[in-house]
Amino acid sequence: MADQHDENLLPDMLPLYYTRYFPQNIFCRWLSCGNNPKPLSNRELSFTLADDVYLRYLSINDQKEFQTLLQKKCPHKLDIGAVYNTKPSIDRHDAVVLARELVFDIDLTDYDEVRTCCQEAIVCDKCWKFMVVACEIIHTALRDDFGFQNILWVFSGRRGVHCWVSDYEARTLDSPGRAAVADYLCLIMGGENQNKKVHFASDLHSSIWRSLTIIDKYFEEILQDQELISTTEGLKSFLKMIPDETLATQVQENLERMPRSSLERWDTFVTTYNKYCKENINATRKIKYLVEEIKIQYCYPRLDVNVTKGFNHLLKSPFSIHPKTGKVSVVFKPEHAKSFKLEEIPTIYTLLDDSAQDNVQHQSNMRAAVKNFQELVFSLEKAEAMRRKNDANASLLEF
Amino acid sequence: MDLKIKRKSNKTVITGSLVENYPHDLQMYKVPPTENISLHEFEALALERLTLLRCLSTATTLKGLRPYSEEWTEFVLNDLKTQGLKYYARLCEKSSCGTQDVASLQARRKDHIAHFILRLAYCRTEELRRWYIARELELFKMRFITMKSDDVDAFFNQNNLCYTSISDDEKNELIKYLRESTFHQSTQNIETFKFYKVKFFEVLDLVKARKVYLKGGYAYIPHKDFISVLSAQFRTHLRQSLAIACQHLGEIEQDERLVSLLKGLHQSYSGNDFISNTKIVIPIESIDSLSVKSFPLCMRQLHENLRSAHHLKHGGRLQYGLFLKGIGVTLEDSLRFWREEFTKIMELDKFEKQYAYNIRYNYGKEGSKKNYTPFNCLRIITNNVGPGECHGCPFRHSDINILKNKLKGYGLEGQAVNDILDVTKKGHFQIACSKYFDTVHNTGLDLGINHPNQFFEESQKLLQGEIKVVPKKEPKPSNNIKKEQDNFEDMDLDEITEWKET
Ligand code: SF4
Ligand SMILES: [Zn+2]
Repeated sequence: MADQHDENLLPDMLPLYYTRYFPQNIFCRWLSCGNNPKPLSNRELSFTLADDVYLRYLSINDQKEFQTLLQKKCPHKLDIGAVYNTKPSIDRHDAVVLARELVFDIDLTDYDEVRTCCQEAIVCDKCWKFMVVACEIIHTALRDDFGFQNILWVFSGRRGVHCWVSDYEARTLDSPGRAAVADYLCLIMGGENQNKKVHFASDLHSSIWRSLTIIDKYFEEILQDQELISTTEGLKSFLKMIPDETLATQVQENLERMPRSSLERWDTFVTTYNKYCKENINATRKIKYLVEEIKIQYCYPRLDVNVTKGFNHLLKSPFSIHPKTGKVSVVFKPEHAKSFKLEEIPTIYTLLDDSAQDNVQHQSNMRAAVKNFQELVFSLEKAEAMRRKNDANASLLEF
Repeated sequence: MDLKIKRKSNKTVITGSLVENYPHDLQMYKVPPTENISLHEFEALALERLTLLRCLSTATTLKGLRPYSEEWTEFVLNDLKTQGLKYYARLCEKSSCGTQDVASLQARRKDHIAHFILRLAYCRTEELRRWYIARELELFKMRFITMKSDDVDAFFNQNNLCYTSISDDEKNELIKYLRESTFHQSTQNIETFKFYKVKFFEVLDLVKARKVYLKGGYAYIPHKDFISVLSAQFRTHLRQSLAIACQHLGEIEQDERLVSLLKGLHQSYSGNDFISNTKIVIPIESIDSLSVKSFPLCMRQLHENLRSAHHLKHGGRLQYGLFLKGIGVTLEDSLRFWREEFTKIMELDKFEKQYAYNIRYNYGKEGSKKNYTPFNCLRIITNNVGPGECHGCPFRHSDINILKNKLKGYGLEGQAVNDILDVTKKGHFQIACSKYFDTVHNTGLDLGINHPNQFFEESQKLLQGEIKVVPKKEPKPSNNIKKEQDNFEDMDLDEITEWKET
């Protein structure tokens, strides 16, 4: 069974997994491309070993070395860092980060204030829908707005997803550039002391309208799944998002009288809101986009912006095993996020156990994940070749 | 550096004609000055420039005026005039290229040389560089904004900035999105704008604020937004030049008189860095009682959260940890303090492995071993605060109602609370903080709070009876930090490897 995991088995199983299943070849090609024009050895890898010993500034020259290193150290956790101007090592504090994929980290724990089905480390198919929305919104923005092509989506192994953008422009983007992209994409802001975390002062940017269209595809489903305004508590925090007190009271009165269905309550809220706006034209400036703001606060991706802004933040490698769940960090296509079933994600235990019930299915899902990875690496290699050719032509022209 | 200092003669030798060198009031400072100037002029120009930059800083951080707003510009211009810097006032008021009279040319020359002198004074540490770049950028933008369109065109030509606008077809196709996404006044008609296509990373400030339409990696900007392209170039260029200048400092420092002059300059820049004063040690046991009166709201909130939740997220650990270091909590005490709280909810082992590193890091005992400075208000206020986090500045990062309840809960009386809330709503967070200080200490000092550690020190002074007669507006630079200043670095978040659970 997929959930019968035992961390004590990992030291025996990991070496097998790394040899039989980890796509070492494609992995090294992916990193080499991402390092270009620096050699593979300038990339930092870091391992966390069985007893939580943490090794930083590791590096490899080629796939063979990688294979040996994996066998020798048998890392329980495998992270990828930045590309330096030199081979990274502990005592080179003067090493400079030259490049790094533009990365995003979305974690369901950041949804704890909206999701009601699970908390903290637990995830179910209901709250996974937040990830589906997040993938679609972020992917579309990266592709349409920023023009990026090589966007890799990876399941983080437990309760979230990672995204790696490998386009040359993304890899060489400097810190302010990363911060700007992160801020462009980040709409939910505010800590524990702010109930309403979305404020649109001026009219909405095209990218926000587009995100709202995406959210609308899932909104009703999520509203019901999460019972966002059907419980007393949910309703209470919902009302706190309405800045206009008169409207808030009206909404409260109307909703409390109703049956406890989030969907019907939402419709009533929208009707009440529309009516209120018509009657109080002067009061509506502050709440012009209230409905949109609330939808965004409920469903829009909650990025861990520090991961994106940091130039050398270590991030878990694709296809590594999550030590707590045994799950493989599989690569998936964003358009397939919808059909992602958490229990169908291969685990190290079922992959290595022929007699396991899910073995066959997990094997085939693993193959599919590797194929997704391959496709991306191939197109990345093509793009890199093109870029180098163009660069060469450009420098020829200068003569 | 290329700036040659001639000490023997007082005569100014001008190489090249001024008209040729300085065709425009505004410049990008790409080429360093090559003429020889006297030490006397060197010093005078430096001090005048410093006054100018300080005046900008006062307008932005102390007065809390919105940069480039009418009040802001007016304040700066008036201040320059009263300080006797008419030539800067005139360069700022109406940058142009029309007038080529001697006064204008001389003003441009001084502007040019002085800019390069201050680069030398401000290239030494990250903190200094950051301050200097921020001010120079304000200056540059202010001058650009006030320029007339002919002068803008001339400026573009002189600096080889050529861009072509998009075709009418493309514009018509995108007009809906351009209208939605381009920042403009409601009185302006987008249809009449000419749009240009630049790579998105040339206008990061517009991207960041979602004030520009993006498509396929390009930003579509109207003419007026070229200031973003320019300031980005200006900033990058200045940042690189400062890094280079820093590497060449050694050559200049052969001349002792220059050394003391340059060092004196940057030390009088913007006050205390609040790097822990080795003489005072604050025992960790006294933190609970200290937090009530001597901690600013941001730190008091973090402290209380840590005590109740036995945990703080990364941003909170950083902000609070450095503050504690700054007031004089030793590394040993700090470790003990965090350990005691965190181990109420986790194994000791986990704490030692995942969190102790960061604490030692703050004290410069791990990683790049730099001695980091506590964050100032500006840094805290402009920080991002995300869900589940409680760092930041409570005046900036709390709902008004929550802030109100918090202040009331602390026993502040109604009128005081309302006063504080009023300024908070206007966006004057540091002024709100000063008012909070005055209320808690029952004084009317009206300090300008610009650093949480300054709050702490002022509070301690008051409580220990060192009451000052004259309320001061700006903290004077204290002496104990100067010798070691160069060893301290501003923390760059990039350098911190965070342990992250996935
Ligand atoms: S103004 Fe500064 S010291 Fe006061 S609470 Fe805000 S950040 Fe803290
Ligand atoms: Zn769930």
